[in-house]
Amino acid sequence: MADYALMNHRLFEGDRETVPRMTEEALAEGCPVLEVLEDGLIAGMRVVGEDFKHNRIFVPEVLLAARAMKAAMVVLQPLLTAADGDSSAGTIVMGTVKGDLHDIGKNLVGMMAEGAGFKIVDLGTNTSAEEFIAAAREHDADLLGMSALLTTTMVYMKTVIDEMRDAGLGHIPVCIGGAPISQSYADEIGASGYAADAGSAVELFKRLTAPAGDSAVQTATVGGS
Amino acid sequence: MLETPLIERILDETFEVLETTGILIDSPEGFERVCALGLAGDPESRRVRFPRAMVEQAIRSAPSGFTLYDRAGEPFTELAGDRVHFVPASSALRILDRHTGKVREADSADFVEYARVASSLPHIAYLSTAFVPKDIPSDIADGWRLYLALASSSRPVVSGAFTAYGVERMAKMMSWFRDDREDLAARPLSIFTCCPSTPLRWSEDAIQNLLDCAAWGIPVEVVPVLLLGMISPSTTVGALVLHAAEVLSGLTVAQLVRPGTPVLFGGAPASFHMQLMTNPMTAVEALQVYCSYAQIAKHLGLPCQAYMGLSDSKFNDPQAGAESGIGMFLAALAGFNSVSGPGMLDYVNCFSLEKLVFDDELAAHAHHFTRDVEVKGDLPTRPLLEELVAENHLLTAEHTLEHWPSELYLPGPMVDRTNWDQWEMQGSKDYRERAGEIIETALEDYESAPIDPRLDAEIRELFASTCNTPDPDLPGLPH
Repeated sequence: MADYALMNHRLFEGDRETVPRMTEEALAEGCPVLEVLEDGLIAGMRVVGEDFKHNRIFVPEVLLAARAMKAAMVVLQPLLTAADGDSSAGTIVMGTVKGDLHDIGKNLVGMMAEGAGFKIVDLGTNTSAEEFIAAAREHDADLLGMSALLTTTMVYMKTVIDEMRDAGLGHIPVCIGGAPISQSYADEIGASGYAADAGSAVELFKRLTAPAGDSAVQTATVGGS
Repeated sequence: MLETPLIERILDETFEVLETTGILIDSPEGFERVCALGLAGDPESRRVRFPRAMVEQAIRSAPSGFTLYDRAGEPFTELAGDRVHFVPASSALRILDRHTGKVREADSADFVEYARVASSLPHIAYLSTAFVPKDIPSDIADGWRLYLALASSSRPVVSGAFTAYGVERMAKMMSWFRDDREDLAARPLSIFTCCPSTPLRWSEDAIQNLLDCAAWGIPVEVVPVLLLGMISPSTTVGALVLHAAEVLSGLTVAQLVRPGTPVLFGGAPASFHMQLMTNPMTAVEALQVYCSYAQIAKHLGLPCQAYMGLSDSKFNDPQAGAESGIGMFLAALAGFNSVSGPGMLDYVNCFSLEKLVFDDELAAHAHHFTRDVEVKGDLPTRPLLEELVAENHLLTAEHTLEHWPSELYLPGPMVDRTNWDQWEMQGSKDYRERAGEIIETALEDYESAPIDPRLDAEIRELFASTCNTPDPDLPGLPH
């Protein structure tokens, strides 16, 4: 019988050696894949998210837990795919927009989202609309994320959104973030969502990508909103 | 700020002033008591001369530091070296009501609320008798404040007497928290403020208080209040000579009464505003005097005190924040052992609980800023930077995990570090709402530690029997 409480605890501690090993052991004992995911990993990440939200732990601890989660997902992913199709929380194509080389915030969002089970396709910085569109098609993106630090580059976000729509990809939700961005700017340019920090960005991604009734993904919280 | 040769010149000049100009003891009885200590004085002018050798001997006999003890007699903190303590400023006549935002007189219930909140604040080291409750006859109000503080908190208290004989009653009360009078001297519970009356004068009340404090062995902070340009030279060096002369006169008297009495080289120098005729303690030139006299105190090996971290503003506005922050940072850098200022507005006339809560946060900042710069696994630096280049961040690096909790200070809610959207999501609270929440939480979490009922009754009887008003109405303490 897998000790999910201990597994949650090790995940909380960010133990990236023990958590994948315990994942393997649980599977070897015959535990169902979805049970290991939900009770062993997502339950642990839920505690991480709650503690982060209430200032009991901070960004480094969240990222360590996310890293351990990611290591366990390497074990789980092939089985999940076989059993349930693509079971990741979703694929997010993200990048810093053209003309802007600032990627610290975008990287943080990517790391937090990965910890929540998303597959991240990071296009880096200075990303053109064409590159976003190509990657969204290639990876069958569930969501597109854009960041900008400069008021001079943020306007390019509207260009990307417009070109996505013109390219027939208007159904893919687009989330934006960065120091000069606000909800009103997101509304103005027709973005699907805006988040003020990495924690709430992950919450937003979950809301925009989770199919109705997918409680496992909806409740896997990384970071407070 | 001051080079050693200049400090020595200032001190030479100070000794000269003490020896030749001398200090006026503005009371016949006080004059006699001071002369009885072996100092020569002119009975006509009541001016007392302080020979250099006696002053230097007094400096040698004064301790370079001392320990304050809590109400239960346990060691609380040591005032020595560059250990900095931030303490509420003292003796305001009014408070800024946190509910109405209006200034009003305070009563005992306000004082108890203050004492309970102040004792919950992690960066306010100990208490002071911050303001004067008006529901008590004025002749016992000094001791009553101390009683309320001791009944509400176990922390030591900076206090002082309002009348010539106020110290006796207060000292007697404090001794009841110890085995006896000598035990109080050995384990002091309070620091008493004694203010000479600039220039070069001790009033009847102040000299009596100083003599009584020394006789009891109560630590004293000698606090001259210079007004630069009016009752002090307008220039820093001249002001420092006057300041040092007044402090060292008090220190010498205290050491002659009881060698070893702890004396803080204190001060509340202010500028004289040549247009408004006010006395801003936060004036920039006054700040230079503060930081300079800290150097003189340290040169002499004496602990030091300052009225810094307060504001002359009327409200908790940008001026208050700037003056308090500048003062507290300078005080921390100067290494003042006891910094009286948090909570105070309007020329030490108005106390604000909201400001105290904010200043607690400033105190944390000042302490963090002045922490030692040490090598913490970051020399050689190259491996750390190579890890950074490889990983693109150091958020999960062993080095970060080990050091960030002590290196990166996370302020409490009084310093708002949310961005606009986060702030809106968290309810768009302004500083008064945030301060109010901290205050309410402190009051809700307050754990009563009442004085033993028999001792409490004895103390109240002391006030009732020594008050000029027969059968004074002494309010009970809130639960």
